[in-house]
Amino acid sequence: MAESFSSSFPPSSESHRRLAPQDAFQWAFDAMAERRWRQAAGRWATLRVVYPEHPPVWIQAAVALRELGSHGEALSLLSEARARFPDHPGGWVQGANTALAEGDVALAGQLLDEARARFPQDPPVWIRSAHLAQATGDPERALHYNQHARDTFPDWAPAFDQHAELAMAAGDWDSARQRWAEVRRRFPDHPAGYRRAAMVEEQQGRPREARRLRLAEEHGIDWLEEGDRADTVAVAPPRRRDWRNFVDLVWTKARLNLKAEANRNHLRYLWWVIDPLLYMAVFYVVFGLLLHRGGEGFVAYLLTGLVPFQWFAKTVQHASNTIVEGRGLMNQVRISPLFFPLVAVVQNAGKQTLVFLMLAIFLVVYGLPPTVHWLALIPVVTVQLLLMAVVGCALAMIIPFVRDLINLVPTGLQFLLFCSGVFYTLDTIPERWRDLFMANPMANLLHQYRRILLEHQWPEWSQMGWLALGCLLGLGVLILAYRRLEGVFPRVVVE
Amino acid sequence: MNGRVILSARNLGVRYKRRGGLFRPARYHQAFSGLTFDLYQGETLALIGRNGAGKSTLLKVLAGILRPDQGCLINHGVTVSLLSLQAGFDPELPGTDNAVLSAMLLGYSRAQARACLHRIAAFSELGSFMDEPVKTYSSGMRARLGFSVAMFLSPDVLLIDEALTVGDRSFREKAEREMSKKIHSLQTVVLVSHSESQVDKLADRVIDLDQPGGAHVL
Repeated sequence: MAESFSSSFPPSSESHRRLAPQDAFQWAFDAMAERRWRQAAGRWATLRVVYPEHPPVWIQAAVALRELGSHGEALSLLSEARARFPDHPGGWVQGANTALAEGDVALAGQLLDEARARFPQDPPVWIRSAHLAQATGDPERALHYNQHARDTFPDWAPAFDQHAELAMAAGDWDSARQRWAEVRRRFPDHPAGYRRAAMVEEQQGRPREARRLRLAEEHGIDWLEEGDRADTVAVAPPRRRDWRNFVDLVWTKARLNLKAEANRNHLRYLWWVIDPLLYMAVFYVVFGLLLHRGGEGFVAYLLTGLVPFQWFAKTVQHASNTIVEGRGLMNQVRISPLFFPLVAVVQNAGKQTLVFLMLAIFLVVYGLPPTVHWLALIPVVTVQLLLMAVVGCALAMIIPFVRDLINLVPTGLQFLLFCSGVFYTLDTIPERWRDLFMANPMANLLHQYRRILLEHQWPEWSQMGWLALGCLLGLGVLILAYRRLEGVFPRVVVE
Repeated sequence: MNGRVILSARNLGVRYKRRGGLFRPARYHQAFSGLTFDLYQGETLALIGRNGAGKSTLLKVLAGILRPDQGCLINHGVTVSLLSLQAGFDPELPGTDNAVLSAMLLGYSRAQARACLHRIAAFSELGSFMDEPVKTYSSGMRARLGFSVAMFLSPDVLLIDEALTVGDRSFREKAEREMSKKIHSLQTVVLVSHSESQVDKLADRVIDLDQPGGAHVL
């Protein structure tokens, strides 16, 4: 066991205890990365003792020394490197760099000439050659070397970077912009293509374009190109919704509210039939079967009043608090506050159609079949819709300012229920009060319903006309008031 | 700035009633006052300031949702929209209905909303969940749908209230990508942000609402 254990390890000699060269060099590269050149030069000197057969200990040491300004020392290290490693272009390239830093253009030129002859397949050689040509004021030669580098090494980004940089150095901003675009096209993940291009744009006084390029570095080249394309699916909203869109919106919202309401129950839409059926059944049992009150036809009389009145009561109750409830939406989008109570009116009207259908069936069963006079229900229902819109919108408008009123709405509706002649007939009212009684629009409307449904007569058109006129006037006043309050509600409802 | 002026704020001020009623004197919180600036076509303006400085309130004033208490806002004939995510969502309704409704509330016509629907569904990556009620969604999924609806909106001036962070990581990146694109197309943008890096990356100009009169810091 002990034998196998020891045999699984290599014999511990000096050479095996040493770090691999790459790992050891990291020590010096770290110092260089942090631009601590003196420390780096020291570390390379130490490493040179242990790993003299590796190029970096000579070449990188020279780089560190050059940064420190010790050009002579660096040059002698590099000449040593060239002698030791004739197949490694670093000695020549860095030699040229150092010579250039020293100001020895002739030496730099000579080294690069040699390098180009020895290492035509080494890209940095060509880049440095171009750099030297540029530095010595020969941009055409620079471009020539760069061209060679780009043609020979089309997958090597620095050649294309240099191409663009040359244009920037020449102050040829249009070419620079195009060349950086070329860099981005070829090397979409190469940061310089965005950053340096952004600098070109900044130089040209286009900070916005510059920022766009910097963002593109984050989001990628596709993002940039997509942004250039005109967005075909963009929807430009109107400054103000026109009335047609507004009506469509109210209609859609009301319809979807009904759908949502139905989705909440298992029996869904069936409830809209069951609810009024039960309701009518209760009144039929109590008044028709148990009490025998009001004489012949009282149940029909009661229901023809109760059904439209319940519609009114539910709608007004619902609408009165809608603006307060719409506070979230109102603060998110620009919308006329009329939207909120009107949705309540339309929504309740939708449900009411089924209730009216039930009532019609009841009346037929009860022995009051449809006559031509039922056609007059259309204007009567329309006037009631108008009336509910006026009352609902008015309450919805006032309640955000006087929140306490919401507590009075049910009581008020109860009061109205007793004032509208749902449970008693018109002839039980003394003659001198009758005009006052009929001034109550609901009482008036219920009277018209009954003329049509029970007495098979046309409604009293003049009264209907006055009622409609009053409602339209009220609606006009309300629309103006809502216009004025449009920018006020969103604040009032959150206060 | 080289663009033309499209919105002018003159001495704007908004205050909120903090409390008060029939028997108590009202007390007010002044969100901002004496704010005067111009918004130029094509620029990105950032609003900064501590909580309660009135950044969101100012956006609402610019959007025409709130009327200022003092001063006035002059609109030189442009459309202005607040980017509202999940506006008017109803949890009982499926994603498709909510998308149409929300789009219409944001200012799409119904035809436009319908036409965008499949793109909205595709962008949100919700797949078959589009037909499920929104109440079954996770909050991230809701956020995706909300963002996807608002994304196609392109008013002359887009107002953004720290809305760039929605959904999970991958979707957030996608959303930010789209938003940045929007901001950098020719659109004029006013955005509220607490993130300095975001402001640096996106904004041409910054207004600090903590300074009296909303000093320009850039």
